[in-house]
Amino acid sequence: MNVEVDLTAREDTPRWLTYAVPVCTILAALGVGAIVLLVIEINPLEAYSIMFVDTLTSEIGQTDTLIRAVPLILAGLAVYLPLKAGLFNIGAEGQLVFGALAGAWVGLNVSLPGYALVALMFLAAAVAGGVLAAIPAWLRAKWDINEIITSLLLTFVALEILSYMVRGPMQGGSGNFPQTERFSDAATIPTLFTRVHAGILVAVLMVALTYVIMSKTRLGFEITFIGSNDEAAVQAGMSKYKVYLFVFILSGAFAGMGGISEVAGVQGRLRAGFEPGYGFTAIPIALLGRNSAIKVMLAALFFALLFVGGTNMEVFLGIPAALVEVIQALIILFLIAGEFFKSYRVTVDIDRSPAPAPAETPKGDA
Amino acid sequence: MAGFVAGLLDATVAAATVFIFAGLGELISERAGVLNLGVEGMMLGGALGGFIVTVVTGSVWLGLGAGVVVGMLFALLHAFLCITLKSNQVISGVMLTLLGTGLTTFYGSNWVEKDIDGFSEVTIPVIGDALVEIPVLGEALFHSMPTDYIAITLVPVVWYFLNHSNIGLELISVGEDPEMADTMGVSVFKIRYLAVIIGGGLAGAAGAHLSLAFVGNWTNGMTAGRGWIAVALVIFAQWKASRMLVGAYLFGMLNALEVRSQGLSVSVDPGTPLAGIINPVAEFLMNAQIMSTYPYLATIIVLSYAVIRTRSDRLAVPSALLQSYSRETD
Amino acid sequence: MGESTFLEMNDILKQFPGVVANDHVNLRVQRGEIHGLLGENGAGKSTLMKILYGLYTQDAGEIYLDGSRLTLESPQDAIDAGIGMVHQHFQLIPRLTVAENVVLGEREPATMFRPEAASESRLPDALLSNSLVQSIAKQFSLGLDVPKRRIQELADQYGFDIDAGAKIWELDVGQQQRVEILKALYRDVDLLILDEPTAVLTPTEAEQLFESLDRLTDEGLSIIFITHKLDEVEAIVDRVTILREGENVGTETVSEVTQADLAEMMVGREVLFQLEKDGIEFGEPVLQLNDISADNDRGIEALSGIDLTVREGEVVGIAGVSGNGQKELAEVAAGIREPTGGEIVVGGTDLTGAKPKRFVDNAVSFVPEDRLRYGCAEDLSVMHNAMMKEFDGSRFGDAVGLDYDELAAYAELLVEEFDVRGAGDVTATDAGDLSGGNLQKLILAREINRDPALLIANQPTRGVDVGAIEFIRETLLEQRKDGTGIVLLSEDLDEITDLSDRILVIYEGEFVYETTPDRADRDRIGLEMTGGQATGEPGKTGAEPEQTPVVTGQNGEHR
Repeated sequence: MNVEVDLTAREDTPRWLTYAVPVCTILAALGVGAIVLLVIEINPLEAYSIMFVDTLTSEIGQTDTLIRAVPLILAGLAVYLPLKAGLFNIGAEGQLVFGALAGAWVGLNVSLPGYALVALMFLAAAVAGGVLAAIPAWLRAKWDINEIITSLLLTFVALEILSYMVRGPMQGGSGNFPQTERFSDAATIPTLFTRVHAGILVAVLMVALTYVIMSKTRLGFEITFIGSNDEAAVQAGMSKYKVYLFVFILSGAFAGMGGISEVAGVQGRLRAGFEPGYGFTAIPIALLGRNSAIKVMLAALFFALLFVGGTNMEVFLGIPAALVEVIQALIILFLIAGEFFKSYRVTVDIDRSPAPAPAETPKGDA
Repeated sequence: MAGFVAGLLDATVAAATVFIFAGLGELISERAGVLNLGVEGMMLGGALGGFIVTVVTGSVWLGLGAGVVVGMLFALLHAFLCITLKSNQVISGVMLTLLGTGLTTFYGSNWVEKDIDGFSEVTIPVIGDALVEIPVLGEALFHSMPTDYIAITLVPVVWYFLNHSNIGLELISVGEDPEMADTMGVSVFKIRYLAVIIGGGLAGAAGAHLSLAFVGNWTNGMTAGRGWIAVALVIFAQWKASRMLVGAYLFGMLNALEVRSQGLSVSVDPGTPLAGIINPVAEFLMNAQIMSTYPYLATIIVLSYAVIRTRSDRLAVPSALLQSYSRETD
Repeated sequence: MGESTFLEMNDILKQFPGVVANDHVNLRVQRGEIHGLLGENGAGKSTLMKILYGLYTQDAGEIYLDGSRLTLESPQDAIDAGIGMVHQHFQLIPRLTVAENVVLGEREPATMFRPEAASESRLPDALLSNSLVQSIAKQFSLGLDVPKRRIQELADQYGFDIDAGAKIWELDVGQQQRVEILKALYRDVDLLILDEPTAVLTPTEAEQLFESLDRLTDEGLSIIFITHKLDEVEAIVDRVTILREGENVGTETVSEVTQADLAEMMVGREVLFQLEKDGIEFGEPVLQLNDISADNDRGIEALSGIDLTVREGEVVGIAGVSGNGQKELAEVAAGIREPTGGEIVVGGTDLTGAKPKRFVDNAVSFVPEDRLRYGCAEDLSVMHNAMMKEFDGSRFGDAVGLDYDELAAYAELLVEEFDVRGAGDVTATDAGDLSGGNLQKLILAREINRDPALLIANQPTRGVDVGAIEFIRETLLEQRKDGTGIVLLSEDLDEITDLSDRILVIYEGEFVYETTPDRADRDRIGLEMTGGQATGEPGKTGAEPEQTPVVTGQNGEHR
């Protein structure tokens, strides 16, 4: 008996599959998570109900989710935009941290009336993130040096610089801990309602900006085209240089703003261990929402829900919050596995007939 | 002074071992055309797995073996995703790191307080005792953990394997031109799988060395970015096994200097001209955190230099790196 | 059949979605002969050989080599059966040496493990003959001494000048090709397939190759030589099988037929297209290339000292065998390749060294040879591709914003005017889903509707179906009437003579001949295209075969 698994490349991805895959992968990841839960003797249904239902229906849950979503949305955009141009921004985490650093510095050392200080902090964060992102962008645009590696390595550089600043020039308080002073009221992002801070406005605004750029402007057209075939695009007169720099710098600015919004809106000071990981979580978010900035925002909200729900699970059931990280990574793994099924059709052939007789040589003249 | 140098060398050797293990693993994987960004996660897995087994069984060697196995399991997943399912290697790797970090934090919290009898330093049999007597170098180089010795001997082994064996030749060809290798009868899938799994096993070994020898216990996230440095190391070494050793010791020394920089200060006499500038700058450059950036910056510089200066068909990068392969028949 | 028939391919059928690549093809190759496989692009030659080499499996039909039936499921099977192939695009790893490339896959163990070297080896016989030991040695060691000697012997035997220890990137193209041949010889093949081997060689290198091939057959090797060039068939082939549209239309002995006969068999019909061309007055120069030189992608000079002037309403046809600088000429004129010397003036504006954008802004349109690579983004919609060159500027919106509705309407207009079939919903259908001919029409539509002053068309009807070919040619003539200056590069001599006002022949980066359609002597053009007698080319030995141009009219498969 012969079992043959055949792979044939699909010519076209059926519409239903495009939607089914993300849904199925999320379900599959939750499924595996359920197994893990069972192993540690927790009822998965109870756990997931706390994670999703309770979080969504309670005011605290909604508030927390929105707060969490802010840096995730911005970081998600920071990966999404270069992706449209065919580039991988793996350094969003570094840009985020760098932005937080610059914004914090401004918040601690400059005084301006009213909300102007906060606005300036955001600006500084955007500039810092943009500058950091410009380096891999330029190296790629000018010399074709792989941006995955450069942006990734710069992330760690940024993290170390943060560590240095917070232990040295920017160290505050009694000087015993590697952290800055608390931000003054002027340097704290004002809240809008309940505890949700104005960062959410910035995030939504950036989503709208990205959406408009990509779907309604000539620049967006260029970005899309270069992302699809850069050789043809250059032949048509489009500038790879301009586009690569633009998407990366804007992305760096987004990530930077994500960083400062977390620090000045939630944490209140900059600590040495500030390494929230949003920059890496942003990668699956951008993948899930790869076709539109709005979808990115939705994906970010979903992940925020996951995080908050995870914390709730920890509080109520004693499950370590690290499980959320595990589920999140599982979602991605299943997601990329799912990509495979979109591109290939798998058929399994079970052949029950006996093996054919060996070939014979012909008789007579050849 | 001599004491400082000796201590520095000792620490360098110890730190370098982690990089050598993980770096060699990454080298093998990348030369076969598969980028593995999950090294950090695999190292953590190996560290925790090895630690747990050692606590339970009392044997460090079993722990080391367990670490290797854990690394291989992670790598198997990466291989399946990237090779069979032809997924994006970057994403798969980064996600495996997330997975590894999450899983080890999740399960590892129970093991943080535990104690083990880790590896202890030994000398090479027969000639070891004499070698240790060499001033300055002796202690540092010849009185080390067994895993340190294993790591050092691995380098020439891997070099030989890559450059002077048929399997190595086939591995290189798979990383340069899988289509051509396939036509010549080389089993591309098999070799890539093997390469990735071996790479994962070595990463696991690096992690196990960390928890069993270098530090001697487990803490969440104890790899502290060493996995990423290993990835950088391979690029820094321009994918040559011979340069890996140099690079690993360089990065290892930087690592060791960081820790020691507190007690170290370079300064010139305030009276000398420009002292006002030199001293603060030197202090800045010798700062522990700033020094941590050097491996990364150095790698970016080396990479840029290599790409800009070299003709594209002579680049050291394996030509098929990051490309999935499928035999497009019919 | 013949007493010395070595290879028999019987009734081979191979289908792909939408096309029958090999339609019950029979092939007989005799031992020790050079058998040509002649046909246009898309006739089925490559497919047939890929089946023979194990890369494809036939849907029906059998293959017999020296009387035994072959089942070929991979190139390894083919090599084991004694069939070797030299591909058009070399399969060599530049970073490794000749020996390493040749030996890859053969698992030559270190010398001391070789059983035949038992006397030299210090290992006991028992150990050497143990299969486990052999297996380990083959995997974990590598001995290049014995192979290098063998490679050197083979090279000397056939007159190849190769150093087995040299790295591939150090060798020139001709030498690299010989390494490819050595790979096959090393594996003791009896039948060697060469896929358009002269495509990458200079005429001198081609001569040397032919000499080597003669020596190979003297030693008993059988060769299948794939080509679409008639002069090569004359020069080196003993018997030739002609394929046309997937079918075998005949096998002839070369010495018994004329090139005209072969050409007719290849193409199968008289030239159909009779186009009306009005006499018009030419206007101001729209393109001036002065003393242009340029390098190709490998950094080797592809154009030297090109002077070209094209006027309004003038069609300048450039004839030549692919690989003589046409691609580089088209790219320089379109502004996407920077020349290494000389001047470019478009419509009175000096555009030497200018970026592609400026060429686009100066009303230069370009239909590239490789349409999938340079002409469109296949994953984007028809609408996106229709707008490729107009992304900037004032049409379809204002300075910043883009009106996608207007864009869609424009795309639909183009699709209708230019009869682009299969486009469906222009915002949803991907450009890559269109057939070759329709994609080309879309590209042409886009380029022409910009109302260009200068249009550069490189192989505009290659891989396009008959109906579309006619349409495209008529469109070009209409543009001509409109006052557009056109540079037409084509391997199709009929196309050139039908459409051009002036004909230039390019050979090895220079214009070597100029004429007009009424004065055109096709024999002379063909001669010039292949670097024939008139230029006093040194190094040509032996009898000069009668040079006639390659007649490529209709093409089949290609996208």
